[in-house]
Amino acid sequence: MQFSRGSRSIFRDLDLTIRKGDVTAIMGPSGTGKTTLLQLITRQLSPDRGQVFVAGDDISGYSRLELYAMRKRMGMLFQNGALLTDLSVFENVAFPLREHTDLGERLIRNVVLMKLHAVGLRGAAYMMPSQLSGGMARRVALARAIVMDPALLIYDEPFVGLDPISMGVIAKLIRQLNDALGITSVVVSHDVHEIGEVADFSYVIADGRVAASGRPEDLKNEQSELVRQFMLGLADGPVAFHYDAPDYAQQLLGPSQD
Amino acid sequence: MFRDIWMTFERFLHSFGGMCLFLLRMLQFTPGVVLRRFRLVVYQVYNAGALSLVVIMISGLFVGAVLALLAHSSLEQFNAEDTTGIFAGLGLVKGIGPVLTALLFAGRAGTALTSEIGLMKATDQLSAMEMMAVDPVRYVAVPRFLGGVVAMPLLSAIFTAVGLLGAHLVAVEQYGVDVGAYWQQMQNVMDWEDVSEGITKSVVFGVVASLVAVWEGYNSTPTAEGVGRATTRTVVVTSIAVLFFNYMITAMYI
Repeated sequence: MQFSRGSRSIFRDLDLTIRKGDVTAIMGPSGTGKTTLLQLITRQLSPDRGQVFVAGDDISGYSRLELYAMRKRMGMLFQNGALLTDLSVFENVAFPLREHTDLGERLIRNVVLMKLHAVGLRGAAYMMPSQLSGGMARRVALARAIVMDPALLIYDEPFVGLDPISMGVIAKLIRQLNDALGITSVVVSHDVHEIGEVADFSYVIADGRVAASGRPEDLKNEQSELVRQFMLGLADGPVAFHYDAPDYAQQLLGPSQD
Repeated sequence: MFRDIWMTFERFLHSFGGMCLFLLRMLQFTPGVVLRRFRLVVYQVYNAGALSLVVIMISGLFVGAVLALLAHSSLEQFNAEDTTGIFAGLGLVKGIGPVLTALLFAGRAGTALTSEIGLMKATDQLSAMEMMAVDPVRYVAVPRFLGGVVAMPLLSAIFTAVGLLGAHLVAVEQYGVDVGAYWQQMQNVMDWEDVSEGITKSVVFGVVASLVAVWEGYNSTPTAEGVGRATTRTVVVTSIAVLFFNYMITAMYI
């Protein structure tokens, strides 16, 4: 699959498969297009060339109705939670149920409380999003993402900006929900340690293609310099510390161009 | 220079076309929203209308008072002070009432709508709705648009009524114009066509102001600067559009 933003090529030749029932990690340095890949999987974007298959179907030709039908079988956890700020925690989780089902109020209440209980926030049901910490907001968003019992759950950078306890909680939830609900999970992250704990399979994306793939423990022994730099968190390497710039001495001592 | 003018014109056409398509899309969802999400519309009428009420009433009172002051000072030269009510009534009902209400609405409710939707976009709330298979145009844009369209004529009526009261205070209480003459002259001269002109204007301005506010928010760049720019554009575009349509409708009624 190929995809560009303007003249900048994001994916030149990307080919990967998400296995059903697994937690698959998509990793890579910042700016390699991990979030863009999620947007392509959910068809918020369309590839320039190539195809994206979801559950065996090519989604590029989907009408809006077909697209929405597909998305009802997906849940997505956004980087910042993306809770609806004018609704309470309870109403946020109930939102997809109210929009897509004709369930009675009592049943909605029970389903919402069960999902909130699964993420440990039943007690916060009547709080507003502004009263939640970053970790709590992400757990509420996770409860909302699973409220329709999706077949595919997508996490966009679920660990960013969280303290170690919250990171541990989210990592545990990703694994538990995947196994308990029998769903497929895709996790975009550059947190090598945390994702290594929960993923069954990982892809490292760089230079618009898959640079390496395998089980997390296999990636630690990967010989590619780029993958080693990423996995070990080295400051310099194929991904250079310095952004492209003119000669340092010449720029400092030469004539000013301001 | 011609190239710049052409490009600006092209951008305007692009934006105008996009706004018209957006309006059609909202109208397509309107029956469903009214039937299934009536509470959301009522809340938005409250949001756009009730919260603008104080500023509308205070402005209406002073505008009516100024109209009466100007009318009285001119008319007393011809010993025609009793007709002050006619000028205040015609001015407020046919022109100043709907126009100033729309401009105040753009500044108070329009900017709030744009920044609210812009911030929802910047915090991925609209994308989250898309991912939950809920069209944000239907859930976010349409109730806010309808709320503005319903609120504007009501606000315009309140502005005009309070303006007439302000004019009454100046003409009758301050300058001693006979109270019977003030209201009777107004009633004699004004007819249904004058009132319908005012209503037409307030409905058209309501559509314009709400459409611009919702469109700008929905299409804002999802950054702090982008939302700020969109909010400014809401006031500028609404003001120009309202003044343009004011001229067109006035010409239509003459």
